[in-house]
Amino acid sequence: MAEELPTDHELMIAVRAGDIPRLGDLFERYHQRLFAFFVRLTSQPSTSEDLVQLVFYRILKYRHTYRDEGKFTAWIYHLARKVAADHWRKQSNTPIATDPTELPEVVDTAPDSAEQTAGREDLALLRVALAQLPVEQREVLVLSRLQQVEHRDIAQLLETTPGAVKVRVHRALKELREVYFKLRRERAA
Amino acid sequence: MNCQRVQESFLDHQDGTLPADESAALRAHLASCPTCQREWAALQEITRKLDALPVPAPSPRLREQFYAMLDTHERQATHSGNPFAFARSRLDRFFEALLPHRPSLQFAFSLALLAGGILVGARVLAPEPATVAVPVVDPSSKEEIAALHRRMDQMGQLVADSLLVHKSTNDRLQSVLATMDVANPDRKLLADLVSALAFDPSVNVRLSALEALAPHTKVDVVRAGLLTALPRETAPLVQVGMIELLAAAGEREATPILDKISRDTTANQNVREAARRALAVLRAPLSPPTDNQNASNKPAQPILT
Repeated sequence: MAEELPTDHELMIAVRAGDIPRLGDLFERYHQRLFAFFVRLTSQPSTSEDLVQLVFYRILKYRHTYRDEGKFTAWIYHLARKVAADHWRKQSNTPIATDPTELPEVVDTAPDSAEQTAGREDLALLRVALAQLPVEQREVLVLSRLQQVEHRDIAQLLETTPGAVKVRVHRALKELREVYFKLRRERAA
Repeated sequence: MNCQRVQESFLDHQDGTLPADESAALRAHLASCPTCQREWAALQEITRKLDALPVPAPSPRLREQFYAMLDTHERQATHSGNPFAFARSRLDRFFEALLPHRPSLQFAFSLALLAGGILVGARVLAPEPATVAVPVVDPSSKEEIAALHRRMDQMGQLVADSLLVHKSTNDRLQSVLATMDVANPDRKLLADLVSALAFDPSVNVRLSALEALAPHTKVDVVRAGLLTALPRETAPLVQVGMIELLAAAGEREATPILDKISRDTTANQNVREAARRALAVLRAPLSPPTDNQNASNKPAQPILT
Protein backbone atom coordinates (compact mmCIF):
# COMPACT_ATOMS: atom_id res chain seq x y z
CA MET A 1 0.00 0.00 0.00
CA ALA A 2 1.37 3.41 -0.99
CA GLU A 3 2.38 5.69 1.84
CA GLU A 4 0.00 8.58 2.28
CA LEU A 5 1.56 11.96 1.50
CA PRO A 6 1.55 14.55 4.26
CA THR A 7 -0.99 17.34 3.83
CA ASP A 8 0.08 20.93 3.22
CA HIS A 9 -0.96 21.72 6.77
CA GLU A 10 1.19 18.91 8.22
CA LEU A 11 4.17 20.07 6.18
CA MET A 12 3.75 23.64 7.35
CA ILE A 13 3.45 22.55 10.99
CA ALA A 14 6.75 20.67 10.52
CA VAL A 15 8.38 23.79 9.00
CA ARG A 16 7.09 25.87 11.90
CA ALA A 17 8.61 23.39 14.34
CA GLY A 18 12.02 23.87 12.70
CA ASP A 19 12.04 21.16 10.02
CA ILE A 20 12.94 23.78 7.40
CA PRO A 21 13.73 21.38 4.48
CA ARG A 22 10.02 20.44 4.38
CA LEU A 23 9.44 23.89 2.90
CA GLY A 24 10.94 22.38 -0.25
CA ASP A 25 7.92 20.03 -0.49
CA LEU A 26 5.56 22.97 -0.18
CA PHE A 27 7.57 24.86 -2.81
CA GLU A 28 7.21 21.94 -5.24
CA ARG A 29 3.46 21.85 -4.65
CA TYR A 30 2.79 25.57 -4.91
CA HIS A 31 5.43 27.47 -6.88
CA GLN A 32 3.85 26.92 -10.31
CA ARG A 33 0.40 27.95 -9.12
CA LEU A 34 1.80 31.03 -7.44
CA PHE A 35 3.83 31.90 -10.51
CA ALA A 36 0.71 31.65 -12.69
CA PHE A 37 -1.18 33.78 -10.14
CA PHE A 38 1.43 36.55 -10.27
CA VAL A 39 1.82 36.39 -14.06
CA ARG A 40 -1.92 36.83 -14.50
CA LEU A 41 -1.91 39.74 -12.07
CA THR A 42 1.21 41.56 -13.21
CA SER A 43 1.75 40.33 -16.80
CA GLN A 44 5.50 40.26 -15.95
CA PRO A 45 7.04 36.74 -15.83
CA SER A 46 10.42 37.83 -14.52
CA THR A 47 8.94 39.95 -11.73
CA SER A 48 6.53 37.10 -10.96
CA GLU A 49 9.43 34.75 -10.25
CA ASP A 50 10.83 37.26 -7.78
CA LEU A 51 7.42 37.60 -6.14
CA VAL A 52 7.09 33.80 -5.74
CA GLN A 53 10.52 33.75 -4.11
CA LEU A 54 9.41 36.54 -1.79
CA VAL A 55 6.31 34.57 -0.75
CA PHE A 56 8.45 31.60 0.29
CA TYR A 57 10.90 33.90 2.04
CA ARG A 58 8.01 35.35 4.06
CA ILE A 59 6.73 31.85 4.87
CA LEU A 60 10.16 31.14 6.33
CA LYS A 61 10.28 34.43 8.18
CA TYR A 62 6.77 34.33 9.59
CA ARG A 63 6.48 30.55 10.04
CA HIS A 64 5.87 30.99 13.78
CA THR A 65 2.66 32.88 13.04
CA TYR A 66 1.10 29.91 11.20
CA ARG A 67 -1.77 28.64 13.33
CA ASP A 68 -2.72 25.08 14.25
CA GLU A 69 -6.25 25.59 13.04
CA GLY A 70 -5.10 27.46 9.91
CA LYS A 71 -5.58 26.38 6.33
CA PHE A 72 -2.37 26.49 4.33
CA THR A 73 -3.94 27.39 0.96
CA ALA A 74 -5.69 30.41 2.43
CA TRP A 75 -2.51 31.45 4.26
CA ILE A 76 -0.18 31.22 1.26
CA TYR A 77 -2.59 33.20 -0.92
CA HIS A 78 -2.92 35.72 1.87
CA LEU A 79 0.87 36.17 1.81
CA ALA A 80 0.85 36.25 -2.00
CA ARG A 81 -1.73 39.05 -2.04
CA LYS A 82 0.33 41.04 0.47
CA VAL A 83 3.45 40.55 -1.66
CA ALA A 84 1.56 41.70 -4.77
CA ALA A 85 0.18 44.74 -2.90
CA ASP A 86 3.69 45.66 -1.71
CA HIS A 87 4.99 45.27 -5.26
CA TRP A 88 2.36 47.63 -6.64
CA ARG A 89 2.94 50.10 -3.84
CA LYS A 90 6.62 50.20 -4.81
CA GLN A 91 5.73 50.55 -8.49
CA SER A 92 3.09 53.17 -7.48
CA ASN A 93 0.75 51.95 -10.17
CA THR A 94 -0.87 48.77 -11.32
CA PRO A 95 0.64 47.58 -14.59
CA ILE A 96 -1.95 46.98 -17.25
CA ALA A 97 -0.89 45.46 -20.53
CA THR A 98 -2.88 46.53 -23.55
CA ASP A 99 -0.99 44.99 -26.45
CA PRO A 100 -0.88 41.21 -26.90
CA THR A 101 2.77 41.45 -27.93
CA GLU A 102 3.64 42.75 -24.45
CA LEU A 103 2.10 39.73 -22.76
CA PRO A 104 3.92 36.47 -22.03
CA GLU A 105 3.27 33.72 -24.48
CA VAL A 106 3.37 30.05 -23.69
CA VAL A 107 5.29 28.46 -26.51
CA ASP A 108 3.40 25.76 -28.39
CA THR A 109 5.71 23.49 -30.34
CA ALA A 110 2.95 21.57 -32.17
CA PRO A 111 2.60 22.25 -35.94
CA ASP A 112 0.24 25.10 -36.78
CA SER A 113 -3.11 24.85 -38.51
CA ALA A 114 -5.40 27.78 -39.40
CA GLU A 115 -7.70 26.76 -36.56
CA GLN A 116 -4.84 26.69 -34.08
CA THR A 117 -3.64 30.12 -35.22
CA ALA A 118 -7.14 31.54 -34.77
CA GLY A 119 -7.37 29.88 -31.36
CA ARG A 120 -4.05 31.37 -30.29
CA GLU A 121 -5.12 34.84 -31.39
CA ASP A 122 -8.34 34.37 -29.45
CA LEU A 123 -6.43 33.45 -26.30
CA ALA A 124 -4.07 36.39 -26.78
CA LEU A 125 -7.11 38.68 -26.96
CA LEU A 126 -8.50 37.09 -23.83
CA ARG A 127 -5.21 37.73 -22.00
CA VAL A 128 -5.38 41.38 -23.02
CA ALA A 129 -9.00 41.59 -21.88
CA LEU A 130 -8.06 40.01 -18.55
CA ALA A 131 -5.18 42.47 -18.12
CA GLN A 132 -7.55 45.37 -18.74
CA LEU A 133 -9.89 44.44 -15.90
CA PRO A 134 -9.57 46.32 -12.59
CA VAL A 135 -7.15 44.43 -10.35
CA GLU A 136 -9.88 43.39 -7.87
CA GLN A 137 -11.90 41.72 -10.64
CA ARG A 138 -8.80 40.19 -12.22
CA GLU A 139 -7.72 38.78 -8.87
CA VAL A 140 -11.05 37.14 -8.08
CA LEU A 141 -11.20 35.59 -11.57
CA VAL A 142 -7.64 34.31 -11.39
CA LEU A 143 -8.23 32.78 -7.98
CA SER A 144 -11.55 31.13 -8.77
CA ARG A 145 -11.22 30.13 -12.45
CA LEU A 146 -7.48 29.78 -13.05
CA GLN A 147 -6.21 28.72 -9.62
CA GLN A 148 -9.27 26.71 -8.64
CA VAL A 149 -9.27 28.14 -5.13
CA GLU A 150 -12.54 27.29 -3.39
CA HIS A 151 -15.06 30.10 -2.93
CA ARG A 152 -14.96 29.74 0.85
CA ASP A 153 -11.16 30.14 0.86
CA ILE A 154 -11.40 33.20 -1.38
CA ALA A 155 -14.06 34.56 0.98
CA GLN A 156 -11.65 34.14 3.89
CA LEU A 157 -8.91 35.90 1.92
CA LEU A 158 -11.11 38.82 0.93
CA GLU A 159 -12.79 38.91 4.36
CA THR A 160 -16.24 38.42 2.92
CA THR A 161 -18.83 35.65 2.45
CA PRO A 162 -18.77 32.86 -0.18
CA GLY A 163 -22.02 34.30 -1.55
CA ALA A 164 -20.41 37.69 -2.06
CA VAL A 165 -17.44 36.01 -3.79
CA LYS A 166 -19.79 34.31 -6.27
CA VAL A 167 -21.40 37.65 -7.05
CA ARG A 168 -17.95 39.21 -7.63
CA VAL A 169 -16.90 36.33 -9.90
CA HIS A 170 -20.14 36.67 -11.84
CA ARG A 171 -19.64 40.43 -12.33
CA ALA A 172 -15.99 39.99 -13.25
CA LEU A 173 -16.87 37.37 -15.87
CA LYS A 174 -19.47 39.68 -17.31
CA GLU A 175 -16.97 42.53 -17.47
CA LEU A 176 -14.33 40.25 -19.03
CA ARG A 177 -16.82 39.12 -21.63
CA GLU A 178 -17.68 42.70 -22.57
CA VAL A 179 -14.04 43.77 -22.84
CA TYR A 180 -13.16 40.64 -24.79
CA PHE A 181 -15.98 41.03 -27.35
CA LYS A 182 -15.18 44.74 -27.73
CA LEU A 183 -11.54 43.89 -28.50
CA ARG A 184 -12.65 41.22 -30.94
CA ARG A 185 -14.92 43.66 -32.76
CA GLU A 186 -12.09 46.20 -32.94
CA ARG A 187 -9.74 43.53 -34.28
CA ALA A 188 -12.25 42.44 -36.93
CA ALA A 189 -12.95 46.03 -38.07
CA MET B 1 -37.23 32.37 -10.81
CA ASN B 2 -36.64 35.79 -12.37
CA CYS B 3 -33.87 36.61 -14.85
CA GLN B 4 -31.50 38.20 -12.28
CA ARG B 5 -31.78 35.23 -9.90
CA VAL B 6 -31.27 32.80 -12.78
CA GLN B 7 -28.16 34.63 -14.00
CA GLU B 8 -26.71 34.79 -10.49
CA SER B 9 -27.10 31.01 -10.27
CA PHE B 10 -25.33 30.35 -13.58
CA LEU B 11 -21.92 29.73 -11.97
CA ASP B 12 -23.31 27.21 -9.47
CA HIS B 13 -25.26 25.54 -12.27
CA GLN B 14 -22.12 25.36 -14.38
CA ASP B 15 -20.10 23.92 -11.47
CA GLY B 16 -22.89 21.44 -10.67
CA THR B 17 -23.28 22.76 -7.12
CA LEU B 18 -26.83 24.07 -7.51
CA PRO B 19 -29.47 22.04 -5.58
CA ALA B 20 -31.51 19.74 -7.85
CA ASP B 21 -34.81 21.63 -7.49
CA GLU B 22 -33.18 25.01 -8.26
CA SER B 23 -31.31 23.49 -11.17
CA ALA B 24 -34.61 22.19 -12.61
CA ALA B 25 -36.23 25.63 -12.15
CA LEU B 26 -33.24 27.26 -13.87
CA ARG B 27 -33.46 24.89 -16.83
CA ALA B 28 -37.21 25.54 -17.14
CA HIS B 29 -36.58 29.30 -17.13
CA LEU B 30 -33.79 29.00 -19.68
CA ALA B 31 -36.02 27.06 -22.06
CA SER B 32 -38.44 29.96 -22.27
CA CYS B 33 -36.21 33.08 -21.91
CA PRO B 34 -34.13 34.17 -24.94
CA THR B 35 -32.27 36.83 -22.89
CA CYS B 36 -31.04 34.30 -20.35
CA GLN B 37 -30.24 31.86 -23.15
CA ARG B 38 -27.91 34.46 -24.70
CA GLU B 39 -26.33 35.22 -21.31
CA TRP B 40 -25.82 31.52 -20.60
CA ALA B 41 -24.21 30.91 -24.00
CA ALA B 42 -21.91 33.93 -23.61
CA LEU B 43 -20.91 32.86 -20.09
CA GLN B 44 -20.11 29.37 -21.28
CA GLU B 45 -18.01 30.69 -24.12
CA ILE B 46 -15.95 33.05 -21.94
CA THR B 47 -15.40 30.51 -19.16
CA ARG B 48 -14.41 27.87 -21.72
CA LYS B 49 -11.84 30.24 -23.18
CA LEU B 50 -10.65 31.26 -19.75
CA ASP B 51 -10.21 27.66 -18.69
CA ALA B 52 -8.27 27.02 -21.92
CA LEU B 53 -5.68 29.73 -21.18
CA PRO B 54 -2.29 27.98 -21.03
CA VAL B 55 -0.65 27.94 -17.63
CA PRO B 56 2.61 29.89 -17.75
CA ALA B 57 5.63 28.02 -16.37
CA PRO B 58 8.48 29.62 -14.43
CA SER B 59 12.09 29.36 -15.57
CA PRO B 60 14.57 27.04 -13.76
CA ARG B 61 15.99 30.18 -12.11
CA LEU B 62 13.09 30.20 -9.63
CA ARG B 63 13.85 26.71 -8.29
CA GLU B 64 17.57 27.46 -8.10
CA GLN B 65 17.00 30.66 -6.17
CA PHE B 66 14.55 29.03 -3.79
CA TYR B 67 16.89 26.18 -2.85
CA ALA B 68 19.79 28.62 -2.54
CA MET B 69 17.69 30.64 -0.07
CA LEU B 70 16.79 27.48 1.88
CA ASP B 71 20.41 26.43 1.94
CA THR B 72 21.57 29.84 3.18
CA HIS B 73 18.94 29.79 5.90
CA GLU B 74 19.95 26.31 7.05
CA ARG B 75 23.62 27.23 7.15
CA GLN B 76 22.95 30.42 9.08
CA ALA B 77 20.84 28.52 11.60
CA THR B 78 23.23 25.63 12.19
CA HIS B 79 26.79 26.07 10.98
CA SER B 80 27.39 29.79 10.97
CA GLY B 81 29.57 31.43 13.56
CA ASN B 82 26.48 32.24 15.51
CA PRO B 83 25.95 29.45 18.01
CA PHE B 84 23.45 31.60 19.82
CA ALA B 85 21.02 31.51 16.86
CA PHE B 86 21.26 27.74 16.83
CA ALA B 87 20.69 27.55 20.58
CA ARG B 88 17.76 29.89 20.23
CA SER B 89 16.19 27.76 17.50
CA ARG B 90 16.69 24.65 19.68
CA LEU B 91 15.13 26.53 22.56
CA ASP B 92 12.17 27.51 20.39
CA ARG B 93 11.64 23.89 19.40
CA PHE B 94 11.91 22.78 23.02
CA PHE B 95 9.27 25.23 24.20
CA GLU B 96 7.14 24.54 21.13
CA ALA B 97 7.03 20.87 22.13
CA LEU B 98 6.60 21.64 25.83
CA LEU B 99 3.97 24.33 25.78
CA PRO B 100 0.31 23.77 24.84
CA HIS B 101 -0.80 24.97 21.39
CA ARG B 102 -4.50 25.56 21.99
CA PRO B 103 -5.28 29.10 23.18
CA SER B 104 -7.57 27.79 25.94
CA LEU B 105 -4.84 25.47 27.26
CA GLN B 106 -2.28 28.26 26.96
CA PHE B 107 -4.57 30.45 29.04
CA ALA B 108 -5.00 27.74 31.68
CA PHE B 109 -1.26 27.11 31.70
CA SER B 110 -0.58 30.83 32.13
CA LEU B 111 -3.04 30.99 35.02
CA ALA B 112 -1.38 28.01 36.68
CA LEU B 113 2.02 29.70 36.28
CA LEU B 114 0.67 32.96 37.67
CA ALA B 115 -0.92 31.20 40.66
CA GLY B 116 2.31 29.27 41.30
CA GLY B 117 4.30 32.51 41.07
CA ILE B 118 2.04 34.28 43.54
CA LEU B 119 2.25 31.33 45.96
CA VAL B 120 6.03 31.12 45.80
CA GLY B 121 6.38 34.90 45.91
CA ALA B 122 4.15 35.14 48.99
CA ARG B 123 6.30 32.57 50.82
CA VAL B 124 9.71 33.78 49.75
CA LEU B 125 9.10 37.51 49.93
CA ALA B 126 7.01 37.50 53.12
CA PRO B 127 8.46 40.01 55.64
CA GLU B 128 10.33 38.58 58.59
CA PRO B 129 8.37 38.59 61.83
CA ALA B 130 9.11 41.70 63.89
CA THR B 131 10.05 39.62 66.93
CA VAL B 132 13.29 38.28 65.42
CA ALA B 133 16.22 39.44 67.43
CA VAL B 134 18.49 41.80 65.53
CA PRO B 135 22.08 42.22 66.64
CA VAL B 136 22.86 45.75 67.66
CA VAL B 137 25.01 47.49 65.06
CA ASP B 138 26.20 51.02 65.47
CA PRO B 139 24.94 53.55 62.85
CA SER B 140 28.33 54.08 61.18
CA SER B 141 28.79 50.32 60.52
CA LYS B 142 25.24 50.11 59.16
CA GLU B 143 25.97 52.90 56.71
CA GLU B 144 29.22 51.26 55.67
CA ILE B 145 27.49 47.92 54.96
CA ALA B 146 24.75 49.65 52.99
CA ALA B 147 27.35 51.54 50.94
CA LEU B 148 29.16 48.26 50.24
CA HIS B 149 25.93 46.63 49.03
CA ARG B 150 25.19 49.60 46.79
CA ARG B 151 28.66 49.48 45.29
CA MET B 152 28.36 45.74 44.51
CA ASP B 153 24.99 46.22 42.86
CA GLN B 154 26.33 49.10 40.82
CA MET B 155 29.32 47.06 39.67
CA GLY B 156 27.10 44.23 38.38
CA GLN B 157 24.81 46.65 36.62
CA LEU B 158 27.72 48.61 35.17
CA VAL B 159 28.91 45.47 33.41
CA ALA B 160 25.44 44.89 31.96
CA ASP B 161 25.06 48.59 31.05
CA SER B 162 28.34 48.76 29.20
CA LEU B 163 27.58 45.64 27.22
CA LEU B 164 24.36 47.17 25.91
CA VAL B 165 26.24 49.74 23.85
CA HIS B 166 28.34 47.14 21.99
CA LYS B 167 28.01 47.17 18.26
CA SER B 168 27.49 43.60 17.04
CA THR B 169 24.08 41.96 17.29
CA ASN B 170 25.56 39.03 19.20
CA ASP B 171 27.12 41.31 21.78
CA ARG B 172 23.93 43.29 22.22
CA LEU B 173 21.94 40.08 22.53
CA GLN B 174 24.27 38.75 25.17
CA SER B 175 24.14 42.06 27.02
CA VAL B 176 20.38 41.86 27.17
CA LEU B 177 20.57 38.28 28.41
CA ALA B 178 23.12 39.36 31.06
CA THR B 179 20.55 41.76 32.50
CA MET B 180 18.29 38.80 33.25
CA ASP B 181 20.79 37.72 35.92
CA VAL B 182 20.46 41.00 37.79
CA ALA B 183 17.88 40.31 40.48
CA ASN B 184 16.86 43.91 41.12
CA PRO B 185 17.81 46.01 38.11
CA ASP B 186 17.77 49.76 38.73
CA ARG B 187 15.85 52.29 36.66
CA LYS B 188 18.87 53.06 34.51
CA LEU B 189 19.25 49.42 33.45
CA LEU B 190 15.53 49.08 32.84
CA ALA B 191 15.63 52.28 30.78
CA ASP B 192 18.46 50.77 28.69
CA LEU B 193 16.38 47.66 28.10
CA VAL B 194 13.43 49.83 27.09
CA SER B 195 15.74 51.67 24.64
CA ALA B 196 16.85 48.33 23.19
CA LEU B 197 13.20 47.32 22.83
CA ALA B 198 12.31 50.56 21.10
CA PHE B 199 15.36 51.20 18.93
CA ASP B 200 17.46 48.10 18.37
CA PRO B 201 17.45 47.12 14.67
CA SER B 202 17.56 43.38 15.44
CA VAL B 203 14.26 41.58 16.07
CA ASN B 204 16.09 39.00 18.22
CA VAL B 205 17.53 41.70 20.47
CA ARG B 206 14.14 43.41 20.78
CA LEU B 207 12.49 40.08 21.62
CA SER B 208 15.09 39.33 24.28
CA ALA B 209 14.74 42.83 25.71
CA LEU B 210 11.02 42.25 25.94
CA GLU B 211 11.65 38.96 27.72
CA ALA B 212 14.04 40.67 30.15
CA LEU B 213 11.48 43.38 30.87
CA ALA B 214 8.60 40.95 31.38
CA PRO B 215 9.14 40.45 35.16
CA HIS B 216 9.34 44.22 35.76
CA THR B 217 6.05 45.53 34.39
CA LYS B 218 5.21 46.92 37.82
CA VAL B 219 7.89 49.57 37.32
CA ASP B 220 6.42 52.71 35.76
CA VAL B 221 9.38 53.26 33.40
CA VAL B 222 8.84 49.77 31.89
CA ARG B 223 5.13 50.28 31.35
CA ALA B 224 5.71 53.73 29.83
CA GLY B 225 8.44 52.24 27.61
CA LEU B 226 6.12 49.50 26.35
CA LEU B 227 3.46 52.09 25.55
CA THR B 228 5.98 54.17 23.61
CA ALA B 229 7.66 51.28 21.80
CA LEU B 230 4.50 49.47 20.67
CA PRO B 231 3.38 51.98 17.97
CA ARG B 232 6.96 52.06 16.56
CA GLU B 233 7.31 48.29 16.36
CA THR B 234 7.06 46.64 12.92
CA ALA B 235 7.86 42.97 13.63
CA PRO B 236 4.63 41.00 14.30
CA LEU B 237 6.37 38.68 16.79
CA VAL B 238 7.54 41.55 18.96
CA GLN B 239 4.23 43.38 18.58
CA VAL B 240 2.30 40.34 19.79
CA GLY B 241 4.72 39.90 22.73
CA MET B 242 4.35 43.53 23.79
CA ILE B 243 0.57 43.41 23.49
CA GLU B 244 0.37 40.27 25.61
CA LEU B 245 2.70 41.79 28.20
CA LEU B 246 0.63 44.96 28.45
CA ALA B 247 -2.53 42.87 28.80
CA ALA B 248 -0.91 40.67 31.47
CA ALA B 249 0.17 43.83 33.34
CA GLY B 250 -3.40 45.14 33.16
CA GLU B 251 -2.12 48.39 31.62
CA ARG B 252 -5.36 50.17 30.79
CA GLU B 253 -3.55 53.14 29.24
CA ALA B 254 -2.72 50.80 26.35
CA THR B 255 -6.40 50.66 25.37
CA PRO B 256 -6.32 53.50 22.75
CA ILE B 257 -3.17 52.08 21.09
CA LEU B 258 -4.60 48.54 21.06
CA ASP B 259 -7.89 49.85 19.73
CA LYS B 260 -6.05 51.57 16.86
CA ILE B 261 -4.05 48.42 16.04
CA SER B 262 -7.15 46.22 16.12
CA ARG B 263 -8.76 48.49 13.50
CA ASP B 264 -5.70 48.90 11.32
CA THR B 265 -6.42 46.86 8.20
CA THR B 266 -2.78 47.07 7.10
CA ALA B 267 -1.54 45.46 10.33
CA ASN B 268 -0.65 41.78 10.54
CA GLN B 269 -3.71 39.59 11.18
CA ASN B 270 -2.13 37.92 14.25
CA VAL B 271 -1.22 41.28 15.70
CA ARG B 272 -4.76 42.53 15.23
CA GLU B 273 -6.16 39.43 16.89
CA ALA B 274 -3.72 39.80 19.80
CA ALA B 275 -4.82 43.43 20.18
CA ARG B 276 -8.48 42.36 20.20
CA ARG B 277 -7.79 39.70 22.84
CA ALA B 278 -5.85 42.20 24.96
CA LEU B 279 -8.68 44.72 24.68
CA ALA B 280 -11.13 42.08 25.85
CA VAL B 281 -8.90 41.40 28.86
CA LEU B 282 -8.36 45.07 29.71
CA ARG B 283 -12.00 45.97 29.31
CA ALA B 284 -13.22 43.06 31.43
CA PRO B 285 -14.54 44.17 34.85
CA LEU B 286 -12.04 43.73 37.69
CA SER B 287 -12.56 40.67 39.89
CA PRO B 288 -13.01 41.16 43.64
CA PRO B 289 -9.63 41.08 45.43
CA THR B 290 -10.48 37.86 47.29
CA ASP B 291 -11.60 35.96 44.19
CA ASN B 292 -8.27 34.87 42.77
CA GLN B 293 -9.71 31.79 41.08
CA ASN B 294 -11.94 33.65 38.63
CA ALA B 295 -10.25 32.70 35.37
CA SER B 296 -12.34 34.91 33.12
CA ASN B 297 -10.94 38.10 34.60
CA LYS B 298 -7.30 37.11 34.70
CA PRO B 299 -5.04 38.49 31.99
CA ALA B 300 -3.08 35.94 30.03
CA GLN B 301 0.59 35.54 30.90
CA PRO B 302 2.63 36.36 27.82
CA ILE B 303 4.48 33.51 26.19
CA LEU B 304 7.57 34.92 24.58
CA THR B 305 9.40 32.84 22.05
